[in-house]
Amino acid sequence: MVFLGMGFGVTQETWFPDLEQTGADYKLPDGLEPLSRHKKDFTVVQGCSNQYSKEAHWGSTFWLTGANRFAVPGQSMSNSISADQVAARALGQDTRFSSIQLNSTDGSASGHGPGLSLAWDLRGKPVAGFNNPVQVFHKLFSADDLPLEQRQAAIAENRSVLDAVLTQAKRVQRGLTKTDKDKLEEYFQGIRDIETRLKKDEAWLEIPKAKSPIDEPKPGLKGREEVEVMYDLIVAALKTDSTRVMTYRMPGQALLQSLGISLSAHNVSHYSPGERMQASQSRDSTHSELLARLMDKLKATKEADGSSLFDHVALAFGSNISSIHYLTNCPTVLAGGGANLKLGRHLVLSKDTPLCNVWLTMLQGLGINVARHGDSTGVVKELQS
Amino acid sequence: MTRFLLSTCIAVSLLSSFAQGAPLEARFPEKHRAFFKAHCLECHDSKTRKGKVDLETLSFRIATIEQAELWQKVLNALNAGEMPPVDSDQPGNTEKADFLDDLARTMVIARKALSDSGGKITMRRLNRREYGNTIEYLTGVRVDVGSLPTDGGSGTMDTVGASQFISSDQLEQYLKLGRQAIDEAFERQAAQKTKPRVFRVEPETTVNVQSVKRMRGMKETNDRFMRWKAGVDKAADAPKNREILAKILEENPKFDRSAWPSASAFQFYRHAHKLIGVPDPKEFGFRDDNAAVQSFQGGYSRSYAYLEHYANLPHSDRGTYLKLTWGIQRIDVSPKPKNVPPGTYTLRVRAGVVEGSPSYRHFIEIGHPQRVNRVPAGFASLPISSHQVTGTIERPEVIETRLVVGLHTRKEFGIQERQPTDAKSLRGAYNRHKRTNGYGMPPAIWVDWIELEGPLPETGPPSPLRTILDTHPAIATQSESERARAILSEFAEAAFREAKPNATFVDKLLAIFGARRKAGDSFEIAIRTPLSVILASPGFLYLKELGNDAERRQLDDRELAVRLAYLLWSAPPDEQLFDLAERNQLHQPKTLREQVIRLIADPRSDAFVSGFVHQWLDMERLDFFQFDVNLHREFDENTRAAAREEVYQSFAHLLRSSKGGRLGKLLKCDYVFINGLLATYYGVDGVTGDEFRRVKLPADSPRGGLLGMAAIHAMGSDGIVSSPVERGAWVLRHLLNDPPPPAPPNVPQISRLEGQILTTRERLLAHQEEPQCASCHRKIDPIGFGLENFDAAGKWRTEDGYQLRNRRGRGIGKRKTWTIDASGALHKGPSFGDYKELRDLIAEREEDFARGFTEHLIEYALGRPFGFTDEGLAKEIVSLARSKEFAVSEFVHSLVQSKAFRTK
Repeated sequence: MVFLGMGFGVTQETWFPDLEQTGADYKLPDGLEPLSRHKKDFTVVQGCSNQYSKEAHWGSTFWLTGANRFAVPGQSMSNSISADQVAARALGQDTRFSSIQLNSTDGSASGHGPGLSLAWDLRGKPVAGFNNPVQVFHKLFSADDLPLEQRQAAIAENRSVLDAVLTQAKRVQRGLTKTDKDKLEEYFQGIRDIETRLKKDEAWLEIPKAKSPIDEPKPGLKGREEVEVMYDLIVAALKTDSTRVMTYRMPGQALLQSLGISLSAHNVSHYSPGERMQASQSRDSTHSELLARLMDKLKATKEADGSSLFDHVALAFGSNISSIHYLTNCPTVLAGGGANLKLGRHLVLSKDTPLCNVWLTMLQGLGINVARHGDSTGVVKELQS
Repeated sequence: MTRFLLSTCIAVSLLSSFAQGAPLEARFPEKHRAFFKAHCLECHDSKTRKGKVDLETLSFRIATIEQAELWQKVLNALNAGEMPPVDSDQPGNTEKADFLDDLARTMVIARKALSDSGGKITMRRLNRREYGNTIEYLTGVRVDVGSLPTDGGSGTMDTVGASQFISSDQLEQYLKLGRQAIDEAFERQAAQKTKPRVFRVEPETTVNVQSVKRMRGMKETNDRFMRWKAGVDKAADAPKNREILAKILEENPKFDRSAWPSASAFQFYRHAHKLIGVPDPKEFGFRDDNAAVQSFQGGYSRSYAYLEHYANLPHSDRGTYLKLTWGIQRIDVSPKPKNVPPGTYTLRVRAGVVEGSPSYRHFIEIGHPQRVNRVPAGFASLPISSHQVTGTIERPEVIETRLVVGLHTRKEFGIQERQPTDAKSLRGAYNRHKRTNGYGMPPAIWVDWIELEGPLPETGPPSPLRTILDTHPAIATQSESERARAILSEFAEAAFREAKPNATFVDKLLAIFGARRKAGDSFEIAIRTPLSVILASPGFLYLKELGNDAERRQLDDRELAVRLAYLLWSAPPDEQLFDLAERNQLHQPKTLREQVIRLIADPRSDAFVSGFVHQWLDMERLDFFQFDVNLHREFDENTRAAAREEVYQSFAHLLRSSKGGRLGKLLKCDYVFINGLLATYYGVDGVTGDEFRRVKLPADSPRGGLLGMAAIHAMGSDGIVSSPVERGAWVLRHLLNDPPPPAPPNVPQISRLEGQILTTRERLLAHQEEPQCASCHRKIDPIGFGLENFDAAGKWRTEDGYQLRNRRGRGIGKRKTWTIDASGALHKGPSFGDYKELRDLIAEREEDFARGFTEHLIEYALGRPFGFTDEGLAKEIVSLARSKEFAVSEFVHSLVQSKAFRTK
């Protein structure tokens, strides 16, 4: 399962297909034109939004969660688990990494909103992401050269470390108010999470990391090249089954800069005919070109049974922000055969369909047993094949 | 008990209304009832409930999350222009704007009320800044906290416990950074045993030699190229090529062989292979004719004259002129890494300026050298510092600065003339110079030598870690395990801010040490793991205060010392504070006041100044944009850093001033805090050097106060043009304490004016046409227009212009210019004729400014969002400060003396 988040939205006039042309027979608008060779293999969904989202500059914070920022009394910000983490809980059992989050360094300038990646954990806390392709590469593929006993000793030492800080945490807990105990609970949870990770490390201790199908990325890539190499890493990670769940909070400001556009991402998001609109459109096209390239690679990666990686992937591309300051009709492109979705269509759902219905459809399509997600009201039947 | 009673009495008499602050409520003004009835209830009354929305029962007093959600829907529908539907009666524009204005504000109040903590202060952990400072205090080592997530998302300050979180990734980072600090502390100590070395670089033996070598290479390549070119010319002149030549020119009418050397001629030679009988470029050492031409265009033609000119300048035999744009631009001092152990170093540069060169070029910047494909290319990160070159070539002066080398930081340094991060952007200027002087950028700085010396002997008091290690040397009478236990317990106590660690914890640390020893590590190495574990423990990371769910509890003196130190230093208490706490004296109002004065006077309070001011004034935006070098040549990273420092210095001056230090001086005053760089930027004479100092302004200067500062205006721009909207909103938010509601989603955007050549004011007046826009912009825009005399980078201007730009940002077509008209009127308020009158109007609002400042200070100090619970406290602080002429330090004193600050 792969989620690709753009932050600021798209150019309304030239990205969304004509509402009149639905089903398989629709004309690809300019913004999606670079995807034409894959037209049969993706679906564009219109009409969805997250009803509680009100932050005009937060394209990623609630994108996969559908949460209400103000749901918790006495707090000015709350969130809930994101769809990818729901998937990670089910699909992450059998892989070395439960999920991998990719990120970019220019989050706040690119309309993503608060968060450390697209992912939010079970308690609605942000999950950290990697913003450096080289780091991701090493995490996924770099062999640990230490002899087995030393690695075992390292795990044992980590356990002792956790045990020590746990003792200390229990001491700190004494005499705290209820709220503060809840706060400290995050620390305990952190320890438990590391513990889980250690267990996993231990289980994988004797299994060497997968050999990388690609070369180590060059350092310092920014913008377009950065997205390309991150996409390559996504393919590589899925191909080697290092993980089955990936999200990518993509660069916005840096992407524009790499296209030779000096305007700020926010400024471009407020496009109107002329220079800014052209910039917005060329960013859209670039995104589509990059996505088409990703789909090429997923299709070209063959599995043992002759099927392709693409056949097993469930991929969503989009943002919580539709265009400018609009949060209705979130741009959504779905691709891949993994979730049994009806592809090759332009689907127009009734206005304000919860975006979480789409995520729920994907999750269930992947065989994950969940009844609801976020503010979902049900699956999108029209999407199911 | 006596102590408790005493201090409570004083607090009560001091801030009597704190507890009784009447809870404000979110109430939508009754005057809008008619509008609501007329335009909403027709369809959404309890009977019709169109779209299942019943608004008739919706209370104008918003007290629950459900009510807030429904009102939010109303606001969204109106903003989106969806309601009232087009086929129904439409409200008048002003009426609708007023309705929206009030509703949006009421929603802000409602959200605030609903998220009010009720005065509860959630335990917080060290934020990124405090973590870095605390580690440095304990170990003497500055770690790079960049790998930790930023604190204070979603609009709260980084001290707010409820908004902080911690995750397993973060815990692992803490373990890693703690280990780095411990390792480095040990390495630093070891390095102290070596004698400091001096690494001097005489650039005439490095840069100049390499430059001459490069020139020789260029010349040799050029000779080969010229011979090839002569062959091409000969072939081109031959009659057999006449037709081919004509065809090439027909296809590419811009080619012009006779215009040598120029782009149109170069293009021709790149097509030489099309001719018959041209010499094979390979025989001349070029891959093809394209490569041959490139060797000339990108080599000899571009920079030979430049390098030659510099090589022949007087004094090149005993120093070098810093080059800009082409050639070797940096002077590096690159000792072998093993010779540069962690520690403090001095970098010295002996340099002078070239007479007659522009003063903004008289600055060098220091950084870590970067090489791309082994070719020097600027710095690996932002400049570490910038320095004004004050000497001349005849009388050079030595610039001296301190640098820190860490265990994991780069070990070499370079200097170069100040320049934009994207050095390519100066190529246009280089070419313009070249057209007039024949070689390129004229020199501005001459450098005699640079040298790096260190590691210097450590000065100042030793860190707690050092002291603890030194008090427990290996001695025969003590077992190794006893020694380790003593070190670990004492370091844990220091790290936990004088809270004793429990024995089990120390036992477990000792076990980790033991396992390491058993595995063969030396004592010195084995002790490092448990030491770094302490730095990831909750006792270190969290600022623990005992609490009671049933009632509020007065902090004990140790807790108070911690709160106070983190407020004013963003670092742990020092010995004196702990000492006063131990003697139970700190809470006494007089002592507390003395300590606040002492802490503020200490340079460690710089951390409060930068940490607080940055967040109070929303200065994050200052780093959002790369400034367009063609338009704002001088606004490079050095100016950005200095502009930021100006804001901090101006505030720090008021905070520390013995004579008042009136807050209102930030709105208007007759002085600035600048250094040589900013003085050059502002055009103020007589200020040289890198130190910031107070400079009195002439009466007609637009500077003085926040509104005269480059940082504030740069924040209100996108790096290209000024943004009256950003500036207006910023003034409302931070100076007038009248924040506009957050930008609403789904408001239709006005796009019809794009591509038309209009003045900024004409363009933005469109905001007034749509009530959804006007509801906020009628307040925001006039203020922004009043600040239009400052360009995007904060320089003063009297004229502005507009030009259509292509997608690459290059201007196309004719530029329209106009004289700036800064006049206007505040919404429903007084009018102003120009910037200065606007500034005066804003300066009159000192009390509003003080109130906004107070709210932010409360949030920062108490670590919880400012809420209605704090209404009374804010009023008291402002009124007490008023009686002391709004002296900045008085706000801090009242806050620290308040019950809220001393209560958990």
